Amino acid sequence: MATTIPAGPLAAPRSARTTRSRGSSRTNMEMVAWLFMRLSGVLLLVLIFGHLFVNLVQGEGINRIDFAFVGGKWASPFWQFWDLAMLWLAMIHGTNGMRTIINDYAERDRTRLVLKVLLAAAFLLTVTLGTLVIFTFEPCPIGAPADLLPSFCPAS
Amino acid sequence: MQTHQYDVVIVGAGGAGMRAALESSTRARTAVISKLYPTRSHTGAAQGGMCAALANVEEDNWEWHTFDTVKGGDYLVDQDAAEVMAKEAIDAVLDLEKMGLPFNRTPEGRIDQRRFGGHTRNHGEAAVRRSCYAADRTGHMILQTLYQQCVKQDVEFYNEFYVLDVVLTHDLSAGTVPDGEEVSVAGVVAYDLASGEIHVFRAKSVVFATGGAGKIYKTTSNAHTLTGDGMALALRRGIPLEDMEFFQFHPTGLAGLGILLSEAARGEGAILRNSEGERFMERYAPTIKDLAPRDMVARAMANEVREGRGCGPNKDYVLLDLTHLEPAHIDAKLPDITEFARTYLGVEPYTEPVPVYPTAHYAMGGIPTTIDAEVLRNNTDVVKGLFAAGEVACVSVHGSNRLGTNSLLDINVFGKRAGIAAARYAETAPWHEMPDDASVATVEYIERLRDHATGERIADIRRELQETMDRNAQVFRTRDSLTTALSDITALKKRYRDASVQDKGRRFNTDLMEGVELGFLLDLAEVVVVGALAREESRGGHFREDFPTRDDERFMLHTMAYQRVRGDGQGTVELDYKPVIITRYQPMERKY
Amino acid sequence: MTALAESTTSARAEVGAVPSFDVTLRIRRFDPDNGAEPRWEEFTVTAHGTDRVLDAMHKVKWEVDGSLTFRRSCAHGICGSDAMRINGRNRLACKALLKDLDPSKPITIEPIKGLPVIKDLVVDMEPFFASYREVMPFLITHGNAPSKERLQSPEDRARYDDTTKCILCAACTSSCPVFWTDGQYFGPAAIVNAHRFIFDSRDEGAVQRLEILNDKEGVWRCRTTFNCTEACPRGIEVTKAIQEVKRAMITRAF
Repeated sequence: MATTIPAGPLAAPRSARTTRSRGSSRTNMEMVAWLFMRLSGVLLLVLIFGHLFVNLVQGEGINRIDFAFVGGKWASPFWQFWDLAMLWLAMIHGTNGMRTIINDYAERDRTRLVLKVLLAAAFLLTVTLGTLVIFTFEPCPIGAPADLLPSFCPAS
Repeated sequence: MQTHQYDVVIVGAGGAGMRAALESSTRARTAVISKLYPTRSHTGAAQGGMCAALANVEEDNWEWHTFDTVKGGDYLVDQDAAEVMAKEAIDAVLDLEKMGLPFNRTPEGRIDQRRFGGHTRNHGEAAVRRSCYAADRTGHMILQTLYQQCVKQDVEFYNEFYVLDVVLTHDLSAGTVPDGEEVSVAGVVAYDLASGEIHVFRAKSVVFATGGAGKIYKTTSNAHTLTGDGMALALRRGIPLEDMEFFQFHPTGLAGLGILLSEAARGEGAILRNSEGERFMERYAPTIKDLAPRDMVARAMANEVREGRGCGPNKDYVLLDLTHLEPAHIDAKLPDITEFARTYLGVEPYTEPVPVYPTAHYAMGGIPTTIDAEVLRNNTDVVKGLFAAGEVACVSVHGSNRLGTNSLLDINVFGKRAGIAAARYAETAPWHEMPDDASVATVEYIERLRDHATGERIADIRRELQETMDRNAQVFRTRDSLTTALSDITALKKRYRDASVQDKGRRFNTDLMEGVELGFLLDLAEVVVVGALAREESRGGHFREDFPTRDDERFMLHTMAYQRVRGDGQGTVELDYKPVIITRYQPMERKY
Repeated sequence: MTALAESTTSARAEVGAVPSFDVTLRIRRFDPDNGAEPRWEEFTVTAHGTDRVLDAMHKVKWEVDGSLTFRRSCAHGICGSDAMRINGRNRLACKALLKDLDPSKPITIEPIKGLPVIKDLVVDMEPFFASYREVMPFLITHGNAPSKERLQSPEDRARYDDTTKCILCAACTSSCPVFWTDGQYFGPAAIVNAHRFIFDSRDEGAVQRLEILNDKEGVWRCRTTFNCTEACPRGIEVTKAIQEVKRAMITRAF
């Protein structure tokens, strides 16, 4: 009537929930983060679809894209700001998302710490490099073939 | 073994226990011992409401409420107690509202009230709107609200602890302690389910609020845990039980399952019909029809079935018809019970009538107490420091038949009184010696049950007990049926002595506790049947087919049943009687 | 013709008889006292059409193996004792009908997740109740109480009706993936019980409760996976209640 099959190990009893401080917290990091995710999400929709439209649809569409096109865009402060906003918002949004995933799924404090340090490093690296590229981009590198450069370059 | 010391120990964390705890914990050091987490208590299953003459929606008066209670109890009610309950009902409801209970409201924002069985205007003229309610989950709201207040007051709970003995200064079980002698409580012995350890609680005051004993029957609206623990413990220690033969059968249990469908359904307009579609209650109670008291409706239903007008393939139930009510109205006022019908019987109450049949519901009897909840050890003497409230107690406000909603009232009014009285008593009372061997008997009892290597299963004995009680001591009783029940119980008690439990472990041994609970059930079933055999009349919830009328000459008395232990060590039930207290209302014929 | 006649008779014999069938329960057992590792045990019992999982488990306990341990009390979904994971979903054993669970296959029964197991299907509920107690689940008022009842319009009463239905069975909290991780999250049940008071027009403690739930382990950890809403045996819209608490915090902050 009864049969027995071994089952996998049980989760070890966990430490009791630690009682938290009752300090006043009219706004705190988590609420700001939660709000940021919603607001940046909406903004990113506009930024990304605007970006895609300008790059892929407008004019000759995708065939237009070359070094000269990119160089031309980043010569304009408007597009520099646009792409910078897109970079930062997307990176913070994504990083925060990763952070909550780590919080939700990494069970040990040590694992959490390691993962979060890695995440922060990846974030810093990407954001720093991206920002540098946007602002230090040279649209008219010396010695480049003229047909690849934007029309306003002196070499052409 | 661990020992604890508290001024007040409350046993049971249902409505009465927690209401008592709210009072006593502000006045004295209090612990609540409960075999369940407090929110699991069966108060939460009560549905319909709690009556109080607030007169929020129509004219009402607490004196009318007293009369209805007395008449509903077929005049076996102690009228001083009924007066106290009806009068204090108003404050009891307002107390709960102030604690945050979410009552349904009138358009003006006051507590709404609705009709309920047996509650009438001006001594029986017509049904009155007296029941304060929160949809059909009033008991749930009361239990949650009381627990919330206990959290607020930081009441100390011992959850999943079974109290298995109450320690008194005298051994009353032989009946040799003379009347008038001062007998006091010293504490209780409890069993911690999680560890299997024994804990001894020394206390000046002990309040029993352990609830009912519906599990002596098979078909019951009661929880599996309602095994009459407090009643049986008192009985074994020589304290009498009052009026135990009066057991209420709620008319509308889901057929075959016993799950309760509140009287509120009929209060909102539902109608009982037999197989011919007839509204048969018109024949039994021409004035208030389907809202007659529960004993009359339950008997009428059983009678319809017996005379072949039952419904279904086996003609063994009648129908509760809500189909003429607006679905929106049903959803607003009766959401839970309609869901029970859908979940458990697959019946859609909007369009189909629901199969129902009487189900064992409430013990009118219990540990006899004064109106201050002090436990009586005979007709006059109290046990000092021992209190009881709620279904476990018999004040007696319900007499031979309880009116709907009066149990929620009972637990609030007398729970509060018990808490106050227990704390007051503890202020001045001395500590009584807790004997070193206080827990020996308890340990022996459970070890004997555990150590039987082989033996009959607890569940088999329990099933036979419940079946014989359903067959022989239910709505209709005769000398023959009761004699059969009694001989069955005697045989089962003998078999119980050799029964064994399968689980021999210490940790969370529910098998062992079911074994202990069966012992309680057997003792209580015996008291019910012995009392019913001796009461050769029909009154309220007790109907003898061989004595179908009320006999005020011989039986206008409370039964007091004692378990006396004689030479052979086995207890026998001995009966005595106690006069009924009559203040305003002389017994009349009970017609509705 | 004969066959037809036969089937009619047998059909007639079955009228009224509740059909019975065999059902196999695959139950996760664990008893640390016996030093045993957790294991799956299968029991086959005969059940009837209207039986619930709890009835089948009682049959096992009462007829086969008395040591099978679980909590139960009212047996009709109102006391909240018997929340367990049945076929991978949190339910009350007394509200899950066998016939709705495809009894032709074994029915798996495990303790609810995220709370320490004591024995078989019994878990330690203390962490769960500790969270509940932390949100101050009681009416908070200031000033003198009126001599009669506090007034509340039916509309104000309806505002928090849904969350008054909670029976503290822990089905929601123990179905929440965020709670599973480390048990530090307050959990849906605590938030539901805070909601019940935050939106009660009579209550004056909403600010305190919102501050408590604005914690790092508070409402912001909710990922709206809707497991809790799906698990609730009382049909409470748990996720919606959590979102309403979030909204109340945002509107308070700005």
